[in-house]
Amino acid sequence: MNYSLGSREGAIIVAVTGRVDESSWVAFGIGLGEAIEKARETGVDCVVIDLAGLEYMSSRGLRVLTVARRDGEEAGVTIALASPNEVMREILSISRYDKLFTISETVEAAR
Amino acid sequence: MLVRFWGTRGSLPVAPTADAIQKKIARALLAAGGRRFADVREAEKFVESELSFAAGGTYGGATPCVELEAGTESYFICDMGSGLRQFGLNSMRRNTAGHPKTYNFFLSHLHWDHIMGFPFFVPAFDPEAVIRIHAGHPDAETALRRQQEEISFPVPFDWLRASFEFVTLTTGQMHEVDGVTVETKLQHHSHGSYGYRFTSADGKAVIYSTDSEHKVEKMAAEAAFIHFFREADLVICDTMYSLADSVSMKEDWGHSSNIVAVDLCHEAKARTLALFHHEPTYDDEDIERMHQETVRYEELTRDGDPLRVICAYDGLEVRL
Repeated sequence: MNYSLGSREGAIIVAVTGRVDESSWVAFGIGLGEAIEKARETGVDCVVIDLAGLEYMSSRGLRVLTVARRDGEEAGVTIALASPNEVMREILSISRYDKLFTISETVEAAR
Repeated sequence: MLVRFWGTRGSLPVAPTADAIQKKIARALLAAGGRRFADVREAEKFVESELSFAAGGTYGGATPCVELEAGTESYFICDMGSGLRQFGLNSMRRNTAGHPKTYNFFLSHLHWDHIMGFPFFVPAFDPEAVIRIHAGHPDAETALRRQQEEISFPVPFDWLRASFEFVTLTTGQMHEVDGVTVETKLQHHSHGSYGYRFTSADGKAVIYSTDSEHKVEKMAAEAAFIHFFREADLVICDTMYSLADSVSMKEDWGHSSNIVAVDLCHEAKARTLALFHHEPTYDDEDIERMHQETVRYEELTRDGDPLRVICAYDGLEVRL
């Protein structure tokens, strides 16, 4: 798993690639923490996680999303998901995380 | 080792309504499409082979009670939910055929749905029966006596005629019980709960891990569960909620999800996962859908040998 931080108007973008599983969830959590901190510092109220390059995410990664959402709420930052592949769409549906997070087709459409 | 499920529902016993049975029959008739059957056996074969489990059967509604036949002369039973009544009656028939009347119980915890079957456990009235109740909780005897106080039940505990022994098990120690090695693991649940690892003389390992919440902020602690589940032949796991429910509105209710169970079993290299402690508001179609989704999630996230995912139901037997 790798991640990189970027930005567009009104949002910090976290692009994640590879897999988020038992071996990479800690690093993924650090990345999301950095993104929330950057959003807070720059006065931006949204972090978009770009899933286009993500193979899949196990429950480990999903639960990191929950932790990030809680941290984001404390910082006044919303976490949104964008561009999941078909596998990730299925996982979001099976876990019912599609009811917890806003999921957009593209990073541009995410809010 | 043979594992027999007598009760698989969580929290509260449930029974299908007349309306639910009527719907099952109506759908079966539609599926048969006017076909004629020579006899009941042929009709049963149609139900078994051409209808889904939810359409032609039911997952049942008795609360947790699981029997292990470990090749020893005594009974091994996990929990005393409402499924215990049927086990008790069945064991009396086996006793008549010569089975020794020694019952080894292992309690996950003392909440009502896990002990409510005990006042209806008929072998407790047999003066020749020996009943050993193992628990991680030192207050197991208090819980069983309390539910038979007059305000709750007409028959007091002291009227029971079997010989009773209460054994408090220590986590981190190997306990030998009638030829089976037993280990316990403290789990996150109100008043605490304990998981069990049973290893038979022939090396088969079964995990019984119910009423166990895996907290989102304590994922690092799951390494201990992965070790506890290591290379188990069967993991019976609390899969009551979706992951989303378990981290939102049902957080701190003390239960886990189907997909966390798959991840733990994958990491532990377990062979079979049995979905267990079904949500009482789920009907058969809901449970079947949850089973199918869990099988699919296992496929999507598999990174090694396949994990077989089965869905426990009242009456299921699994031979290892």
